[in-house]
Amino acid sequence: MALDEILLWTLLFLPLLAAAIITLFTSRRRRLSAGISIAAVVLSFLLALVVFAGFQADQPREYALNWLSLGDFAVQFGIRLDSLSMLMLLVVTGVAAVIHVYSWGYLAGDPGFSRFFTGLSLFTFSMLGIVAANNFIQLFICWELVGCSSYLLIGFWYDRPAAADAGLKAFVTTRIGDFGFLLGILTVWAALGSLNFAALQERALAQPGLITTAAGLLIFCGAAGKSAQFPLHVWLPDAMEGPTPVSALIHAATMVAAGVYMLCRVLFLLNAPALQVIAWVGAFTALLTAIIATQQNDIKRILAYSTLSQLGYMVLAVGLGGATPAMFHLTTHAFFKALLFLGAGSVILALHHEQDIWKMGGLRQKLPVTFWTFLAGTLALAGVWPLSGFFSKDSILALAAERNHALLALALLTALLTSFYMFRLVLVVFFTNHRSAAAGRAVETPPVMVIPLRLLAIPTVAAGFLGIEYFVARQFEPQAAARLSAWGQLVFPFQHAPLAALSGLAAAGLGFLAAYQLYAGAKKEPLESRLGAFGRAVQNRFYFDELYAATVIRAHEFLARAADWMDRWLIAGLGVRGTHGTTELLGRALRLFQTGNVQTYAFLFALGLAVVLWLALR
Amino acid sequence: MSILTYIIGWPLAAALALVFVPRNYRVVIRAVALLATFVSAALAVKMFIQFPGAPAGPDHYRFEAFVPWAASLGIQYHVGVDGINAGLVLMSAIVAFAATCVAWEIRDREKEFYILLLIMAGGVLGAFASLDIFFFYLFHEFALIPTFIMIGVWGRGGRKNYATYQITIYLSLGSLLALLGLIALYLEAGAASFDIPVLVRHLREQPLGAGAQGLIFPLLLFGFGILVSLWPFHTWAPLGYASAPSPTAMLHAGALKKFGLYGLLRIALPMMPEAARSWAGILAWLCLGNLLYCGWVAMRQKDFNWVAGYSSVAHMGFVFLGIASLNLIGVTGAVVVMVAHGFLAALVFGLNGFVYQQTGTLEIRELGGLLRRLPFIGAAMVMAAFAGCGLPGFANFAGEITVFFGAWKPLRVVAILGCWGALVVGAVYLLRAIRGVLQGPLPGKWSVLTDAAGWWRKLPFALLLASLLVFGFFPRLLTDRIARDVAASVLNLPPAPDHAPVETAQGRR
Repeated sequence: MALDEILLWTLLFLPLLAAAIITLFTSRRRRLSAGISIAAVVLSFLLALVVFAGFQADQPREYALNWLSLGDFAVQFGIRLDSLSMLMLLVVTGVAAVIHVYSWGYLAGDPGFSRFFTGLSLFTFSMLGIVAANNFIQLFICWELVGCSSYLLIGFWYDRPAAADAGLKAFVTTRIGDFGFLLGILTVWAALGSLNFAALQERALAQPGLITTAAGLLIFCGAAGKSAQFPLHVWLPDAMEGPTPVSALIHAATMVAAGVYMLCRVLFLLNAPALQVIAWVGAFTALLTAIIATQQNDIKRILAYSTLSQLGYMVLAVGLGGATPAMFHLTTHAFFKALLFLGAGSVILALHHEQDIWKMGGLRQKLPVTFWTFLAGTLALAGVWPLSGFFSKDSILALAAERNHALLALALLTALLTSFYMFRLVLVVFFTNHRSAAAGRAVETPPVMVIPLRLLAIPTVAAGFLGIEYFVARQFEPQAAARLSAWGQLVFPFQHAPLAALSGLAAAGLGFLAAYQLYAGAKKEPLESRLGAFGRAVQNRFYFDELYAATVIRAHEFLARAADWMDRWLIAGLGVRGTHGTTELLGRALRLFQTGNVQTYAFLFALGLAVVLWLALR
Repeated sequence: MSILTYIIGWPLAAALALVFVPRNYRVVIRAVALLATFVSAALAVKMFIQFPGAPAGPDHYRFEAFVPWAASLGIQYHVGVDGINAGLVLMSAIVAFAATCVAWEIRDREKEFYILLLIMAGGVLGAFASLDIFFFYLFHEFALIPTFIMIGVWGRGGRKNYATYQITIYLSLGSLLALLGLIALYLEAGAASFDIPVLVRHLREQPLGAGAQGLIFPLLLFGFGILVSLWPFHTWAPLGYASAPSPTAMLHAGALKKFGLYGLLRIALPMMPEAARSWAGILAWLCLGNLLYCGWVAMRQKDFNWVAGYSSVAHMGFVFLGIASLNLIGVTGAVVVMVAHGFLAALVFGLNGFVYQQTGTLEIRELGGLLRRLPFIGAAMVMAAFAGCGLPGFANFAGEITVFFGAWKPLRVVAILGCWGALVVGAVYLLRAIRGVLQGPLPGKWSVLTDAAGWWRKLPFALLLASLLVFGFFPRLLTDRIARDVAASVLNLPPAPDHAPVETAQGRR
């Protein structure tokens, strides 16, 4: 076994080992449990760095064990190391390590401390499993496992009904997507005879037609569930009931991006019609959720809708055939969105679990580190040069400008709205004066939470010109990929597609101006009175939850009711009881003839004789 | 003597021994029962580990033993395992031990209860290890009759008596149909033998006519099907399990219920392959009754034990689907699900019994927030629910996904609908029940509940969970053993080139 292989297996299984050790042995010792969990993920990150040091992009490597093998149903558990998974390994372990440390501070004193870290470790393992997967079934296994850890961590405060409900909703909604995903996997397997990505890539090219489109769209169902794309987007905002580090790690940086990662992994299976659908779904989700984000008042929900919108961006990029821009945006988004969530967590904790932005205000001086890092995240998300988000967003805009102008228009509108709602958030939370007593007394959170903010701020600022795009592009467009100096990357967007870059910047600027106009010094939501019915619809998230409750859920309730009624009254009632009753009735009727009474027998005998005589003499 | 005889013999011998123990020696009674089932389980583990290296007979059976009995009728005591029943014997022995562990809840007429439980355990193990139709059936009846008595005497709930009547009549009817089928099969085959390997070999050389197959196969299918709660013959199961004392429910739902499925695999499929092919389509559609319909019914249940009961009925759909697909992948998956569901059903009913002991109710509306008071039991319940909705890592997932891959090519529509039942409906009713029972605020009246204290109380649940996880992480422990024998003895496939052992066995013939 090569050293490389040992390192990879170790970094993959360390978090699982940590979860097992905590569950079995140390769950009573809170600090030790957290320590084990943090040590495992930090070590995984370091190992990923070591692997990265010896990484050669032109030689993808694969290590695999045989998990199950029955005829042509052969499943491996393996590690596929190429640019795509190398990048994700670094992102996942890096962001996870920072958030693990932050959680130590955020959840200090919670009775479920050990349980929380078990969940985080389990999640980290499952997410790494998705990243490393070399075949569909392993991907699906880890896909389900991240769903499970997401469920457990959303419902971490399980005695709060809202949290418990949110966990259930998240699990079931993503399961609906997984239903399509599994059918897609089965279709691919039946058509191409393999589950292994490398083998599929060789065979996929020869398979045009309807079945490929169907398989592609079914696989996209899985991504739509996990990455919360329309129409399965409803679970993600509710998932904010989980502790904030969970929102940062699972519901912003990594798990929700798994759908995008998976689509990039199997891009070769998606044909033009499927990609078309994917692009439009992504663009529509991006715009729809950006609109909703503008009228939310819960700091975490604003960020959640923003995540949905940015995921839409990534899906749009995939739909345009651009795995490189999608992965680039995924990476920068993981940094700045994790930063924004952790910053929001810092605000929430400083205000003793207040999440309404209209009860905050003036926190700029009170939480200086939080403010500056949050501002960095905001600028990156809004797409301001030279922060990381500008470059990744620009690469998507440039792609859209090249391939589809209608989608470009949607993307630009989304960019404008993004800048608008983020500056609204910053202006309301950090500027003007405090609007509640809690906001007046707030003090900066402890170093164990502030240091992670500073750490994440570094890639938030710099990830745009570190060559990430080139790193991924070598796998997807090996001919076109060109290595640029840091300065070259800084100016590249303006040389490559100046129109897209400038219009992106203009959208961000317009968004900022609009937000400044409306929210600088605002005491309450100024748009509420002006927008009327549309505003109410936006505030109520376009009534999607209500719509689903009235249709999908009611339909299933009806089926369940009908089945239950049938079971109770037809099968158990008429069928079983009926048989039982008929038998009993028959028994009673027969008993009448066997009373043991001589007169009755004599009467029956006489009657019978009379009948026989009548028949004979007629 | 074969290790199998000891595995079967320990519980039965202990039952006999207990007859002579005075009823007030409660510790002794319990100790004897625990020792016997423990030794039986340990031997089963040993058997399972040694299985790959053990010498195989001409029909691939290992650890065989013969004792002639009624030679004129061709009946003999013949035990042996191949890949198909090795896992079932292991699972049954572990479930029997776990069931005996949780029997501490029985406080009344303990001696009789333990005797019946041991007879039941011995009967289950005997049925799975027997390779003679007569003993196969006899052992099953050995296990079935104590079930009725235990529900009738130690059962719980207001509908106990009705449940006892219903389950007795229903299951007796099922066994009777199966018996008719088996006798007809014996007579039609004309081999003058009850020995399964002999019959299989005989019927492969001289297959039954289409008419005879068409008559006997449905008798076996529905007779065995009733025993496994095949839709629409399933209504005995939720009521029976809700009324049964938990050790009985564990042993029945976990182990004994698989008898019918095992009978289909061991007898009906290999001996009547043509009829199996013509009935497969019907069986596939019936299994949707389990997978989808019973899932919907489970969504509407208000009592946690009824949710568990319907869920256990629903899970049988995977096995039927695997059997109906009639190919190596599907049937192997079906056997994996049989083993996995055995552990899972025992776990679920054991945990429910633990809660019921303290609360006296399993009405979901009455409960809530129990996780705070019962961290161990609650966590085990959550894990059981996850295993039940097919989460990877548990053995059920490995079996279920295999079944779907097996069913995809021959039975696509059924597989699609079954996937919906497995992935969505299953998750809804199980996690909703978890939401109602374990999550949310804790009602004041339950603040006195106590969790499983000490390793002794945790052991049976930990053991069952560990079994689910081991086979979930390493499904090849099962599939490698199962697949070769499914190919050779159930489906009579030509040996696959990559399965070397089959080739050598074939060569020996």
